[in-house]
Amino acid sequence: MAGHNDSSAAEKKSSELTSDIPTFNAENLQSNMKIIYYSRTFLSIIGGVIAGILGFTGWTGFIFYFLVMAITSVGLVAKAGFSIDSYFNSWNQVILDGFFSGLMSFVLFWTFAYDMVHIF
Amino acid sequence: MAEDLVLDTAIRDWVLIPLSVVMVLIGVLRHFVSKLMRSNQVPDAKIVKEGQVIVRARNLRAGANFIPFKSFRARRFYYSNEENGLLFVPKGQAQNAQAQMFSDPNMAMDMMKKNLSMIIPQTLTFAWVNFFFSGFVAAKIPFPLTQRFRSMLQNGIDLSTVDVSYVSSRSWYFLNLFGLRGLFSLILGEDNATDDTQRMMQMSGFGFDPTRSLGAEKDSLDIVQHDWALPKFEHRAEAVLRKVLS
Repeated sequence: MAGHNDSSAAEKKSSELTSDIPTFNAENLQSNMKIIYYSRTFLSIIGGVIAGILGFTGWTGFIFYFLVMAITSVGLVAKAGFSIDSYFNSWNQVILDGFFSGLMSFVLFWTFAYDMVHIF
Repeated sequence: MAEDLVLDTAIRDWVLIPLSVVMVLIGVLRHFVSKLMRSNQVPDAKIVKEGQVIVRARNLRAGANFIPFKSFRARRFYYSNEENGLLFVPKGQAQNAQAQMFSDPNMAMDMMKKNLSMIIPQTLTFAWVNFFFSGFVAAKIPFPLTQRFRSMLQNGIDLSTVDVSYVSSRSWYFLNLFGLRGLFSLILGEDNATDDTQRMMQMSGFGFDPTRSLGAEKDSLDIVQHDWALPKFEHRAEAVLRKVLS
Protein backbone atom coordinates (compact mmCIF):
# COMPACT_ATOMS: atom_id res chain seq x y z
CA MET A 1 0.00 0.00 0.00
CA ALA A 2 2.75 2.41 0.88
CA GLY A 3 4.65 1.73 -2.27
CA HIS A 4 1.82 2.58 -4.60
CA ASN A 5 1.44 6.23 -4.10
CA ASP A 6 4.72 7.50 -2.84
CA SER A 7 5.27 9.86 -5.69
CA SER A 8 1.75 11.16 -5.60
CA ALA A 9 2.09 11.70 -1.90
CA ALA A 10 5.13 13.85 -2.41
CA GLU A 11 3.45 15.73 -5.20
CA LYS A 12 0.39 16.30 -3.17
CA LYS A 13 2.31 17.74 -0.33
CA SER A 14 4.17 20.25 -2.39
CA SER A 15 1.06 21.08 -4.36
CA GLU A 16 -0.21 22.93 -1.36
CA LEU A 17 2.51 25.42 -2.08
CA THR A 18 1.48 26.06 -5.65
CA SER A 19 -1.95 24.94 -6.77
CA ASP A 20 -4.35 22.11 -6.24
CA ILE A 21 -4.38 19.90 -9.26
CA PRO A 22 -5.72 16.49 -8.41
CA THR A 23 -2.94 14.08 -9.19
CA PHE A 24 -4.65 10.90 -8.20
CA ASN A 25 -4.10 7.67 -9.99
CA ALA A 26 -7.52 6.08 -10.21
CA GLU A 27 -6.23 2.52 -10.15
CA ASN A 28 -4.09 3.09 -7.10
CA LEU A 29 -6.99 4.74 -5.38
CA GLN A 30 -9.17 1.77 -6.15
CA SER A 31 -6.58 -0.66 -4.89
CA ASN A 32 -6.35 1.30 -1.67
CA MET A 33 -10.10 1.10 -1.26
CA LYS A 34 -9.96 -2.62 -1.87
CA ILE A 35 -7.35 -3.01 0.82
CA ILE A 36 -9.58 -1.14 3.24
CA TYR A 37 -12.48 -3.41 2.39
CA TYR A 38 -10.43 -6.57 2.84
CA SER A 39 -8.95 -5.54 6.14
CA ARG A 40 -12.41 -4.53 7.38
CA THR A 41 -13.93 -7.86 6.39
CA PHE A 42 -11.05 -9.86 7.81
CA LEU A 43 -11.08 -8.02 11.09
CA SER A 44 -14.85 -8.26 11.43
CA ILE A 45 -14.68 -12.04 11.01
CA ILE A 46 -11.83 -12.38 13.47
CA GLY A 47 -13.52 -9.97 15.84
CA GLY A 48 -16.73 -11.95 15.61
CA VAL A 49 -14.96 -15.16 16.56
CA ILE A 50 -13.19 -13.45 19.45
CA ALA A 51 -16.42 -11.89 20.70
CA GLY A 52 -18.13 -15.25 20.54
CA ILE A 53 -15.40 -17.07 22.40
CA LEU A 54 -15.26 -14.42 25.09
CA GLY A 55 -19.02 -14.79 25.43
CA PHE A 56 -20.16 -11.23 24.83
CA THR A 57 -23.91 -10.80 24.69
CA GLY A 58 -26.20 -7.95 23.85
CA TRP A 59 -24.75 -4.49 23.48
CA THR A 60 -21.31 -5.54 24.66
CA GLY A 61 -20.78 -7.38 21.40
CA PHE A 62 -21.80 -4.45 19.25
CA ILE A 63 -19.62 -2.12 21.26
CA PHE A 64 -16.81 -4.59 20.71
CA TYR A 65 -17.49 -4.39 16.97
CA PHE A 66 -17.35 -0.59 17.00
CA LEU A 67 -14.15 -0.82 18.97
CA VAL A 68 -12.61 -3.21 16.47
CA MET A 69 -13.64 -0.98 13.57
CA ALA A 70 -12.25 2.08 15.32
CA ILE A 71 -8.96 0.27 15.87
CA THR A 72 -8.98 -0.74 12.21
CA SER A 73 -9.48 2.85 11.16
CA VAL A 74 -6.66 4.02 13.37
CA GLY A 75 -4.46 1.26 12.01
CA LEU A 76 -5.25 2.18 8.43
CA VAL A 77 -4.60 5.84 9.08
CA ALA A 78 -1.33 4.96 10.73
CA LYS A 79 -0.43 2.79 7.75
CA ALA A 80 -1.12 5.73 5.49
CA GLY A 81 1.31 7.78 7.50
CA PHE A 82 -1.41 10.07 8.89
CA SER A 83 -1.78 11.78 5.53
CA ILE A 84 -5.15 10.56 4.35
CA ASP A 85 -5.32 13.12 1.58
CA SER A 86 -2.54 11.52 -0.35
CA TYR A 87 -4.12 8.08 -0.43
CA PHE A 88 -7.89 8.51 -0.28
CA ASN A 89 -10.56 10.87 -1.41
CA SER A 90 -12.05 11.62 1.94
CA TRP A 91 -12.15 10.64 5.57
CA ASN A 92 -15.56 9.09 5.21
CA GLN A 93 -14.20 6.41 2.94
CA VAL A 94 -11.55 5.38 5.42
CA ILE A 95 -13.92 5.25 8.35
CA LEU A 96 -17.14 3.96 6.83
CA ASP A 97 -16.21 1.79 3.87
CA GLY A 98 -17.11 -1.83 4.46
CA PHE A 99 -18.68 -1.03 7.80
CA PHE A 100 -22.12 -2.50 7.25
CA SER A 101 -21.07 -5.45 5.14
CA GLY A 102 -18.62 -6.23 7.90
CA LEU A 103 -21.40 -6.08 10.47
CA MET A 104 -23.21 -8.96 8.78
CA SER A 105 -20.12 -11.17 8.85
CA PHE A 106 -19.44 -10.12 12.41
CA VAL A 107 -22.90 -11.12 13.61
CA LEU A 108 -22.68 -14.46 11.85
CA PHE A 109 -19.32 -15.44 13.27
CA TRP A 110 -20.13 -14.03 16.66
CA THR A 111 -23.24 -16.20 16.79
CA PHE A 112 -21.37 -19.20 15.50
CA ALA A 113 -18.53 -19.03 17.99
CA TYR A 114 -20.87 -18.12 20.83
CA ASP A 115 -23.04 -21.13 20.13
CA MET A 116 -20.07 -23.42 19.84
CA VAL A 117 -18.60 -22.40 23.13
CA HIS A 118 -21.40 -21.26 25.38
CA ILE A 119 -24.77 -22.62 24.36
CA PHE A 120 -24.21 -26.30 23.92
CA MET B 1 -32.64 -15.76 31.46
CA ALA B 2 -35.26 -17.83 33.17
CA GLU B 3 -36.36 -20.00 30.30
CA ASP B 4 -33.08 -21.19 28.94
CA LEU B 5 -33.37 -24.04 26.53
CA VAL B 6 -30.88 -26.83 26.86
CA LEU B 7 -29.70 -27.76 23.40
CA ASP B 8 -28.27 -31.16 22.70
CA THR B 9 -24.63 -31.17 21.70
CA ALA B 10 -25.59 -33.58 18.94
CA ILE B 11 -27.45 -30.69 17.32
CA ARG B 12 -24.21 -28.75 17.25
CA ASP B 13 -22.26 -31.64 15.79
CA TRP B 14 -24.82 -32.75 13.26
CA VAL B 15 -26.74 -29.61 12.37
CA LEU B 16 -24.93 -26.39 13.07
CA ILE B 17 -21.42 -27.32 11.96
CA PRO B 18 -22.39 -29.35 8.88
CA LEU B 19 -24.80 -26.67 7.75
CA SER B 20 -22.19 -23.93 7.98
CA VAL B 21 -19.46 -26.01 6.38
CA VAL B 22 -21.75 -27.02 3.53
CA MET B 23 -22.73 -23.42 2.94
CA VAL B 24 -19.08 -22.41 2.62
CA LEU B 25 -18.24 -25.33 0.37
CA ILE B 26 -21.22 -24.70 -1.87
CA GLY B 27 -20.16 -21.10 -2.21
CA VAL B 28 -16.69 -22.22 -3.30
CA LEU B 29 -18.14 -24.79 -5.67
CA ARG B 30 -20.45 -22.24 -7.21
CA HIS B 31 -17.55 -19.90 -7.76
CA PHE B 32 -15.61 -22.48 -9.71
CA VAL B 33 -18.59 -23.80 -11.63
CA SER B 34 -19.56 -20.36 -12.80
CA LYS B 35 -15.94 -19.78 -13.72
CA LEU B 36 -16.01 -22.88 -15.88
CA MET B 37 -19.30 -22.06 -17.50
CA ARG B 38 -18.35 -18.55 -18.42
CA SER B 39 -18.12 -18.74 -22.16
CA ASN B 40 -15.11 -16.88 -23.45
CA GLN B 41 -16.42 -16.06 -26.87
CA VAL B 42 -14.27 -13.91 -29.09
CA PRO B 43 -15.46 -10.37 -28.59
CA ASP B 44 -16.52 -8.36 -31.58
CA ALA B 45 -13.61 -6.37 -32.97
CA LYS B 46 -15.68 -3.26 -33.37
CA ILE B 47 -16.80 -3.24 -29.76
CA VAL B 48 -13.27 -3.78 -28.51
CA LYS B 49 -12.08 -0.96 -30.71
CA GLU B 50 -14.70 1.38 -29.35
CA GLY B 51 -13.81 0.41 -25.82
CA GLN B 52 -10.16 1.14 -26.47
CA VAL B 53 -11.03 4.50 -27.97
CA ILE B 54 -13.00 5.34 -24.87
CA VAL B 55 -10.09 4.36 -22.67
CA ARG B 56 -7.75 6.50 -24.71
CA ALA B 57 -10.06 9.47 -24.58
CA ARG B 58 -10.41 9.04 -20.86
CA ASN B 59 -6.67 8.99 -20.47
CA LEU B 60 -6.44 12.16 -22.47
CA ARG B 61 -9.01 13.78 -20.23
CA ALA B 62 -7.23 12.66 -17.08
CA GLY B 63 -3.85 13.84 -18.29
CA ALA B 64 -5.06 16.95 -20.05
CA ASN B 65 -3.22 19.30 -17.77
CA PHE B 66 0.14 17.73 -18.40
CA ILE B 67 0.39 18.66 -22.06
CA PRO B 68 0.47 22.11 -23.62
CA PHE B 69 -2.79 23.62 -24.72
CA LYS B 70 -1.92 23.33 -28.38
CA SER B 71 -1.25 19.62 -28.13
CA PHE B 72 -4.37 19.10 -26.11
CA ARG B 73 -6.45 20.94 -28.68
CA ALA B 74 -4.98 18.86 -31.48
CA ARG B 75 -5.74 15.63 -29.66
CA ARG B 76 -9.21 16.74 -28.78
CA PHE B 77 -9.86 17.58 -32.38
CA TYR B 78 -8.59 14.15 -33.34
CA TYR B 79 -11.13 12.56 -31.03
CA SER B 80 -14.18 14.73 -31.30
CA ASN B 81 -14.32 16.57 -34.62
CA GLU B 82 -17.57 16.28 -36.43
CA GLU B 83 -16.33 14.69 -39.63
CA ASN B 84 -14.08 11.75 -38.82
CA GLY B 85 -13.25 12.07 -35.13
CA LEU B 86 -12.90 8.78 -33.34
CA LEU B 87 -15.61 9.55 -30.84
CA PHE B 88 -18.05 10.92 -33.35
CA VAL B 89 -20.82 8.46 -34.15
CA PRO B 90 -23.03 9.03 -37.17
CA LYS B 91 -26.71 8.92 -36.36
CA GLY B 92 -27.69 5.95 -38.49
CA GLN B 93 -24.95 3.61 -37.31
CA ALA B 94 -25.72 4.09 -33.68
CA GLN B 95 -29.13 2.49 -33.96
CA ASN B 96 -27.74 -0.29 -36.07
CA ALA B 97 -25.16 -1.28 -33.52
CA GLN B 98 -27.71 -1.29 -30.75
CA ALA B 99 -30.03 -3.58 -32.64
CA GLN B 100 -27.15 -5.86 -33.42
CA MET B 101 -26.26 -6.09 -29.77
CA PHE B 102 -29.78 -7.07 -28.88
CA SER B 103 -30.02 -9.73 -31.50
CA ASP B 104 -26.80 -11.35 -30.35
CA PRO B 105 -27.93 -14.55 -28.65
CA ASN B 106 -24.65 -15.15 -26.88
CA MET B 107 -25.22 -12.22 -24.58
CA ALA B 108 -28.58 -13.42 -23.36
CA MET B 109 -27.21 -16.93 -23.04
CA ASP B 110 -24.36 -15.76 -20.87
CA MET B 111 -26.72 -13.79 -18.68
CA MET B 112 -29.01 -16.76 -18.28
CA LYS B 113 -26.14 -19.08 -17.40
CA LYS B 114 -25.00 -16.70 -14.73
CA ASN B 115 -28.48 -16.44 -13.31
CA LEU B 116 -28.92 -20.19 -13.33
CA SER B 117 -25.61 -20.81 -11.63
CA MET B 118 -26.84 -18.50 -8.92
CA ILE B 119 -30.34 -19.80 -8.51
CA ILE B 120 -29.91 -23.56 -8.82
CA PRO B 121 -27.45 -24.10 -5.97
CA GLN B 122 -29.52 -21.87 -3.73
CA THR B 123 -32.71 -23.78 -4.39
CA LEU B 124 -30.92 -27.08 -3.95
CA THR B 125 -29.33 -26.05 -0.69
CA PHE B 126 -32.58 -24.71 0.60
CA ALA B 127 -34.36 -27.94 -0.27
CA TRP B 128 -31.60 -29.93 1.36
CA VAL B 129 -31.78 -27.89 4.52
CA ASN B 130 -35.52 -28.22 4.57
CA PHE B 131 -35.38 -31.94 4.07
CA PHE B 132 -32.75 -32.83 6.65
CA PHE B 133 -32.85 -30.12 9.22
CA SER B 134 -36.39 -28.83 9.43
CA GLY B 135 -37.58 -27.92 12.86
CA PHE B 136 -34.33 -27.83 14.79
CA VAL B 137 -33.53 -25.07 17.17
CA ALA B 138 -30.01 -24.81 15.95
CA ALA B 139 -28.50 -21.70 17.43
CA LYS B 140 -29.00 -18.71 19.66
CA ILE B 141 -27.99 -15.22 18.80
CA PRO B 142 -26.16 -13.54 21.61
CA PHE B 143 -28.28 -10.40 21.62
CA PRO B 144 -31.95 -9.86 22.37
CA LEU B 145 -34.42 -9.01 19.62
CA THR B 146 -38.02 -7.93 19.57
CA GLN B 147 -40.99 -10.10 18.66
CA ARG B 148 -40.98 -8.62 15.18
CA PHE B 149 -38.02 -10.79 14.28
CA ARG B 150 -39.70 -14.05 15.17
CA SER B 151 -40.81 -14.86 11.65
CA MET B 152 -37.32 -14.08 10.39
CA LEU B 153 -35.32 -16.07 12.89
CA GLN B 154 -37.64 -18.93 13.75
CA ASN B 155 -38.72 -19.85 10.30
CA GLY B 156 -39.89 -23.44 10.54
CA ILE B 157 -40.74 -23.62 14.21
CA ASP B 158 -44.22 -22.64 15.21
CA LEU B 159 -43.78 -22.09 18.89
CA SER B 160 -44.65 -18.70 20.26
CA THR B 161 -43.19 -19.34 23.70
CA VAL B 162 -39.59 -19.84 22.65
CA ASP B 163 -37.39 -16.82 23.20
CA VAL B 164 -36.88 -14.88 19.98
CA SER B 165 -33.12 -15.10 20.08
CA TYR B 166 -33.21 -18.81 19.35
CA VAL B 167 -32.63 -19.49 15.69
CA SER B 168 -34.12 -22.34 13.72
CA SER B 169 -31.99 -24.27 11.29
CA ARG B 170 -33.72 -22.82 8.25
CA SER B 171 -33.10 -19.32 9.48
CA TRP B 172 -29.52 -20.21 10.24
CA TYR B 173 -29.27 -21.05 6.57
CA PHE B 174 -30.46 -17.57 5.66
CA LEU B 175 -28.08 -15.97 8.12
CA ASN B 176 -25.25 -17.90 6.50
CA LEU B 177 -26.41 -16.88 3.05
CA PHE B 178 -26.06 -13.20 3.86
CA GLY B 179 -23.20 -13.28 6.31
CA LEU B 180 -20.77 -15.42 4.37
CA ARG B 181 -20.45 -12.90 1.57
CA GLY B 182 -17.56 -11.23 3.32
CA LEU B 183 -15.79 -14.54 3.89
CA PHE B 184 -16.17 -15.42 0.22
CA SER B 185 -14.66 -12.17 -0.88
CA LEU B 186 -11.69 -13.02 1.32
CA ILE B 187 -11.13 -16.61 0.28
CA LEU B 188 -12.17 -16.43 -3.36
CA GLY B 189 -10.71 -13.12 -4.29
CA GLU B 190 -12.47 -10.13 -5.65
CA ASP B 191 -14.36 -11.36 -8.67
CA ASN B 192 -16.27 -14.14 -7.00
CA ALA B 193 -19.61 -15.34 -8.21
CA THR B 194 -21.52 -14.43 -5.11
CA ASP B 195 -21.74 -10.74 -5.80
CA ASP B 196 -22.84 -10.94 -9.35
CA THR B 197 -25.78 -8.66 -8.98
CA GLN B 198 -23.35 -5.80 -8.78
CA ARG B 199 -21.25 -7.08 -11.63
CA MET B 200 -24.24 -7.82 -13.80
CA MET B 201 -25.27 -4.22 -13.55
CA GLN B 202 -21.79 -3.18 -14.60
CA MET B 203 -21.74 -5.66 -17.45
CA SER B 204 -25.04 -4.58 -18.89
CA GLY B 205 -24.09 -0.96 -18.52
CA PHE B 206 -20.85 -1.58 -20.35
CA GLY B 207 -22.08 -3.98 -22.95
CA PHE B 208 -25.30 -2.51 -24.12
CA ASP B 209 -24.52 0.99 -25.21
CA PRO B 210 -21.00 1.41 -26.50
CA THR B 211 -22.13 4.10 -28.90
CA ARG B 212 -23.86 6.06 -26.20
CA SER B 213 -20.78 5.94 -24.02
CA LEU B 214 -18.79 7.18 -26.99
CA GLY B 215 -21.11 10.16 -27.16
CA ALA B 216 -20.85 10.76 -23.43
CA GLU B 217 -17.08 10.61 -23.58
CA LYS B 218 -17.10 13.08 -26.45
CA ASP B 219 -19.23 15.50 -24.48
CA SER B 220 -17.07 15.33 -21.39
CA LEU B 221 -13.97 15.75 -23.53
CA ASP B 222 -15.50 18.84 -25.07
CA ILE B 223 -16.04 20.58 -21.77
CA VAL B 224 -12.63 19.92 -20.28
CA GLN B 225 -11.11 23.11 -18.95
CA HIS B 226 -7.49 23.04 -19.96
CA ASP B 227 -4.97 24.40 -17.54
CA TRP B 228 -1.40 23.52 -18.24
CA ALA B 229 0.25 22.35 -15.08
CA LEU B 230 3.84 22.01 -16.14
CA PRO B 231 5.02 25.61 -15.66
CA LYS B 232 4.30 25.23 -11.99
CA PHE B 233 5.92 21.85 -11.77
CA GLU B 234 9.38 23.26 -11.57
CA HIS B 235 8.46 24.92 -8.33
CA ARG B 236 6.90 21.70 -7.23
CA ALA B 237 9.97 19.69 -8.04
CA GLU B 238 12.11 22.23 -6.29
CA ALA B 239 9.99 21.97 -3.19
CA VAL B 240 10.09 18.19 -3.26
CA LEU B 241 13.84 18.08 -3.72
CA ARG B 242 14.37 20.58 -0.95
CA LYS B 243 12.26 18.44 1.31
CA VAL B 244 14.24 15.36 0.36
CA LEU B 245 17.55 17.07 0.98
CA SER B 246 16.68 18.66 4.28
